[in-house]
Amino acid sequence: MAQPSSILHFSGHQYLRSRLVLSILSGKPVRIDKIRSEDKNPGLKDYEISLLRLLEKLTNGIEIEISVTGTAILLRPGVIMGGVLQHECPLSRSIGYFLEPVIMLAPFSKKPVNLTLKGITTDKHDLSADILRTVTLPHLQPFGISEGLELRIKRRGASPGGGGELQFLCPIIKQVKTLNFIDAGKIKRIRGVAHAVRVNPQFSTRMMEASRSLLNRYIPDIYIYSDVYKGDESGKSPGYAMTLLAETTTSAIHCSEAISQPGVAPEDIGIAAAQALLSEIEKGGCIDRRHQTMVLLMMVLGSEDVGRCLMSEPTSKTIQFLRDIKAFFGTSFKIVSADQSNLDCTQLLYSCYGTGYVNSNRTLA
Amino acid sequence: MDSQQHKSHRPSSKKEKGKERQHGFNEKAFAPKSGRKADRQGRRKVEQDQTRLHVPLVNRTPDDDPPPVIVAIVGPPGVGKTTLLKSLVRRYTKQTLTEAKGPITVVAGKKRRLTFIECNNDLSSMIDIGKIADLVLLMIDGSYGFEMETFEFLNILQTHGFPKVIGVLTHLDLIKKAATLKSTKKTLKKRFWTEIYQGAKLFYLSGVLNGRYPDTEILNLSRFISVMKFRPLIFRNSHPYLLADRIEDLTPRELVRTSEGKCDRTVTLYGYVRGTNLRMGTKVHIPGVGDLDIQGVSNLGDPCPLPTAESEKRRKLTEKKKLLIHAPMSDVGGIMYDKDAVYVNVPGSFSRGIVDVPQGEGEQMVMDLQDVDATLEDRVAQSQIRLFGSSSKTLTVNRSDQLQQKPESEDDHDNDLSTEGDVAEQSDLENSSEGDSDTEAGSSTLPHINTGRTSHRTNIRSLPSSGTARADIEYADSDSDLGEDEDDARTKLGHRIQFDEDDEDIPSDEEADMLMHGNEDSENDVPKWKANLSERAASASSKSTSKRKNWIKLIYSSDLSPEEILWGKSKHSEVEIGEDDFLQVKRKHDVDDLEGLDASKDPLDISSLKKWEDEEMLDSIRHLFITGGEGPNVEPASGFGEESEDQQVSDDKDDAASNPEQLTPDQVRATALAAKKEVLKRKFDEQYDDPETITEDFYTSRKEEINQQLAINRAEFEGIADGEARALVEGYRPGQYVRIELASVPCEMIEHFNPLYPIVVGGLLPAEERFGYIQVRIKRHRWFARTLKTNDPLIFSLGWRRFQTLPIYSLDDHSIRMRMLKYTPEHMHCYATFYGPVSLPNTGFCTFNSLSREASGFRVSATGVVLDVDRSTKIVKKLKLTGIPYKIFKNTAFIKDMFSTALEVAKFEGANIRTVSGIRGQVKKALPKPDGAFRATFEDKILKSDIIFLRAWYSIQPRKFYNPVTTLLLPDKSWTGMRLTGQIRRDEGLKTPHGVDSTYKPVVRAARRFNPLIVPKKLQAQLPYASKPKLMKSQKAQTYLQKRAVVMEPEEKKALALMQQMRALRKDQVARRKEKKSEKKADRAKNLEKEDAKKSEKDKERKKEVMKMAGMQRKREAEAEGGRGARKRRKT
Repeated sequence: MAQPSSILHFSGHQYLRSRLVLSILSGKPVRIDKIRSEDKNPGLKDYEISLLRLLEKLTNGIEIEISVTGTAILLRPGVIMGGVLQHECPLSRSIGYFLEPVIMLAPFSKKPVNLTLKGITTDKHDLSADILRTVTLPHLQPFGISEGLELRIKRRGASPGGGGELQFLCPIIKQVKTLNFIDAGKIKRIRGVAHAVRVNPQFSTRMMEASRSLLNRYIPDIYIYSDVYKGDESGKSPGYAMTLLAETTTSAIHCSEAISQPGVAPEDIGIAAAQALLSEIEKGGCIDRRHQTMVLLMMVLGSEDVGRCLMSEPTSKTIQFLRDIKAFFGTSFKIVSADQSNLDCTQLLYSCYGTGYVNSNRTLA
Repeated sequence: MDSQQHKSHRPSSKKEKGKERQHGFNEKAFAPKSGRKADRQGRRKVEQDQTRLHVPLVNRTPDDDPPPVIVAIVGPPGVGKTTLLKSLVRRYTKQTLTEAKGPITVVAGKKRRLTFIECNNDLSSMIDIGKIADLVLLMIDGSYGFEMETFEFLNILQTHGFPKVIGVLTHLDLIKKAATLKSTKKTLKKRFWTEIYQGAKLFYLSGVLNGRYPDTEILNLSRFISVMKFRPLIFRNSHPYLLADRIEDLTPRELVRTSEGKCDRTVTLYGYVRGTNLRMGTKVHIPGVGDLDIQGVSNLGDPCPLPTAESEKRRKLTEKKKLLIHAPMSDVGGIMYDKDAVYVNVPGSFSRGIVDVPQGEGEQMVMDLQDVDATLEDRVAQSQIRLFGSSSKTLTVNRSDQLQQKPESEDDHDNDLSTEGDVAEQSDLENSSEGDSDTEAGSSTLPHINTGRTSHRTNIRSLPSSGTARADIEYADSDSDLGEDEDDARTKLGHRIQFDEDDEDIPSDEEADMLMHGNEDSENDVPKWKANLSERAASASSKSTSKRKNWIKLIYSSDLSPEEILWGKSKHSEVEIGEDDFLQVKRKHDVDDLEGLDASKDPLDISSLKKWEDEEMLDSIRHLFITGGEGPNVEPASGFGEESEDQQVSDDKDDAASNPEQLTPDQVRATALAAKKEVLKRKFDEQYDDPETITEDFYTSRKEEINQQLAINRAEFEGIADGEARALVEGYRPGQYVRIELASVPCEMIEHFNPLYPIVVGGLLPAEERFGYIQVRIKRHRWFARTLKTNDPLIFSLGWRRFQTLPIYSLDDHSIRMRMLKYTPEHMHCYATFYGPVSLPNTGFCTFNSLSREASGFRVSATGVVLDVDRSTKIVKKLKLTGIPYKIFKNTAFIKDMFSTALEVAKFEGANIRTVSGIRGQVKKALPKPDGAFRATFEDKILKSDIIFLRAWYSIQPRKFYNPVTTLLLPDKSWTGMRLTGQIRRDEGLKTPHGVDSTYKPVVRAARRFNPLIVPKKLQAQLPYASKPKLMKSQKAQTYLQKRAVVMEPEEKKALALMQQMRALRKDQVARRKEKKSEKKADRAKNLEKEDAKKSEKDKERKKEVMKMAGMQRKREAEAEGGRGARKRRKT
């Protein structure tokens, strides 16, 4: 009975998450093939399967077909349900990998999301719990998603042992507000979290001291929290990391993170984090580079008005994301240099006409 | 006239009173006298203020150049719709239409165009019209009153967003008596007001003169239409749509011929975009046809443009009379649209050079075809690229064949045009998109340019920019145009050729870019790069490309992978060089590592962080902090600095305006100072102004916000000159005249096309393309005669769609479960769940049981609103399982006949059960012996005669039945969907099958027999007397009174005998009286019978007479009806 809707076709294992998210939001079925077909170890990895399971929990009526070899999947999206959920993340990836797509989907669900994720909270590949809490969620605020949006770090778990636990709470919204964020402002404060689990609590202080030594020259308003988890809440493996974020007068946020490595002193970690923060600041824009895709997605989903945002140059992920957005939503961005006269200007002004996406999953009664 | 003199006023003889002598405004006059009055006045003022307020809604239709207002003329047949339409069209265009079919667009004023459409009496048309009309002229026959269709239409309007309605009362000349006329007007007005709102405008049109309504009345009506203000309706404000005013079939004739007209067609529809922007990649729904994919959209020149100041100035006096009208489906304006040809009538002298004179669509088309902006050589080269192989050849041959068949006169005319072609070349094209398509159109018809003519048939195929949308390659080409708005001026190459070169073009961009990046990034670890750099730089500089990356072009119209775009990865040619081998491997490696993980965080590159050890580097970003002050060269972003959101729009523009011109340092300083002062002033104002005056109420602030956003929307893409590129980013704006190409349209749409039935193209949101279970709140219409039954087919009009589906009604049962209802409740809302296309929550709908004209009574059966959309449903209905005890212990009993297997019992373990008498219990465990029996415990001992109930809930799913109402595909537009079983039986003459078990049989209940209570003798003896069973047997022996002998005295004997005689006499008397009475009764009955017989005889004769008369009348009527078409009317 249902009309055969056109299936979008992609290949490769890269950008799997964003494609799945776009498919679910746009309602267009997607077929992804050649997933590591050339690899020694072909097909979907365990964390990808786990992600698909998580999406299955989050939605109703979703159909996921995985080919026998695991190198192709067909996803027919359903309705995003939300509600109280639990998910055990495999130890091959940290929780950030799973939470990122969920954050993009959660505001458009039928019931407010209350998701508990267990696994690794901080590792070197994905956004750590601290970045998600202090940077990712504030990025949603200009879109009108703020009340009741929360990420609770119940337990920390460093890799490889894991044992961390995050609780993600997200309200539902009717429509995303249009973003007009073209004023980067100036940095007014720097905040940070230095956490340490199953190591000497002194480590966090040492990281703080080191990073302060570099940042103190710029601004006095620096406050770095020392977050030491002990006992049951500290997971199964030792580790420590430092997350820094700089907030501007217009509440644009840039962040950086450095994670403990074997044989590297905590001071070096602190310095590296501070230096990374400086290079982020230098790149400019109103949006942190790691959150470009999320912000662009929300811009596309905005009401049928022109949304504008100042950002640094797109990352490779962002470029592919823009192309995927065009495939799924038919929306393309206008990307021009923020300063036409200045040839060295690396900041770009992204503007698009929102699709007027309305949360059709929301219940009225 | 001049001689007439008015009598001058006499000066007042009275002396002015003290109060009147006062000059100026008397303040006391309007001041309230009492506190109470003051209070009342205050409240009234607030009330008036509140009525002004409405929920602020964004109007997506632009204020400049809006689409024509759709004015629908609705009413029952014979009420004068066509007459009104013709009168109105004549009022606006001074032309008389011979036949008015389809939408007719006219220019009504400086800022307003109107599209008139007449709505026929078909319910489907009324639904479609109700969804798109901005203004409804609701016509009512004054001599007849309201008809059912009118009320039905009003109900449809109510559920789909109420547009403005003006009532028009006609046929008032048929009412002769003035008093009757007055009262009729009054009653009709009252009824109309209750339907619309108190004080709704109702027009009265008197009789018809020369086939039109009186000019003054029409003038008044047109004035009302022209000042009408419209409020955006939510559904239309979130969906693009258009009312097609023209339809063309583009299917190759040969294909149609070979398939005998049965092949799917390619169809183009023309109309003004309304609602929101029409974006690419959306599906559309044509009510009456179905969901269709848009093959392509192209913007056409406005066939009925609004007058501009310039066009007014240039307009000649002779053309003052010729007012614009666009009505392709009816014969006006010198253009006739036949099924597959357009005939253009060019009146009088026609000269090519005059561009500003508003030309008809056809003339414009012919001229556009001749606008050539490239040389012949280019065209030939292009055409070789475009038209590959032999297909082009056959095309030309065909065309030349057609040429020869053309009549002589048209030939002349076309030659005229061609000679004037060079004039047109100088006169510039309006926009490049036109130009683009023109070149393409030209390229395909190139070989014939010498003859200077094209046949009409090809004209249709190659309408302005029609070619762009059709061919894939060309479309991709327009993609590439997106970014070219800046570069075009520099690289003035032909678009097509440039695109072919893109492969080399883009990398060169990056190479140049790599130069920049290579210097600042630490590329120390790859020394080979540097070795190569100088060569590359040389090659890059040789090509004249801009230094900055064109991101739009790189991202959207190149095949490069993201990494290649970012880092300028070496191309295949460079791989062959071999020098880069080392680099190649390394990059490949780390890229893989990254991608393999789909990581969102790139690992810290320690080497690149090294630069921050340099003190100078650290100082270079000091200006980015608030403590840093103004940097040496202020970053553009911080140029906006500290300014509040609302100022950004203007600042942005200012920046753009001021940047290109080089300012002297003095000026820069001055402007900076001015800006600083401005900021300070604003801060001061914020602090010291009265906060109450600043804080606006929610309403005004929200409105202000909306306006600001709209201004941004307008400004953002204004700069993109290329129409196609702009459309790619923001879609086609409302008010643009577009042509939509649809593929695989059912052939019936073309074959049974009737201009009297409107074609609405409704854009669908992505969510609306999907299917699912939709939960709605529904209420049966109180005028609909019957109740609605679960799983009976119902026709929904929801969103753009009309479809039939099978709803299940339900009610919320104590917020625990959704309980199915077999019928809709009376006067109450209930829920309904059905399978169908998704609609956004809060969309209104109405339903019908039948759309046919024959259906009697009010056809709108229910109305409601969408609540929820899901992929599954949770509706349950009650299921009662019964069983009987076959063995009873104390509180335990064995129950049988409830389940058939032990497995079923296992599923119900722990379930609550109950006896009829109300003793509650629980299912415990299955028993081995009789299959399905189980042990159950109760709160008390149950009886063997008790029936045991288990109340369960059985979940039901709505059937997946979705049947779109495809009225436009039918020759007579009368659609019948799925019928009810009863209807089918009636139609087919089938008998209802009757199950044996369904018949009611007399219930035979065996009388319950209770055994006598026997108390053992021993126990009896011990009982106290009161409790002892009493022996109550009748006495057998005679009593003394019965046994004794009575001997009477003689006096006593005598008295007794006398008494007996008197009693006997009395008895006899009564008997005789009774006999007499019955005799009389019989007599009377006989008489009555006789009279009755006489009466019935008379009656029979009278009836015979009446039937005879009736039969004759019917015969006459039938004869009359055969003569003229039956006009069916249903009185309210």
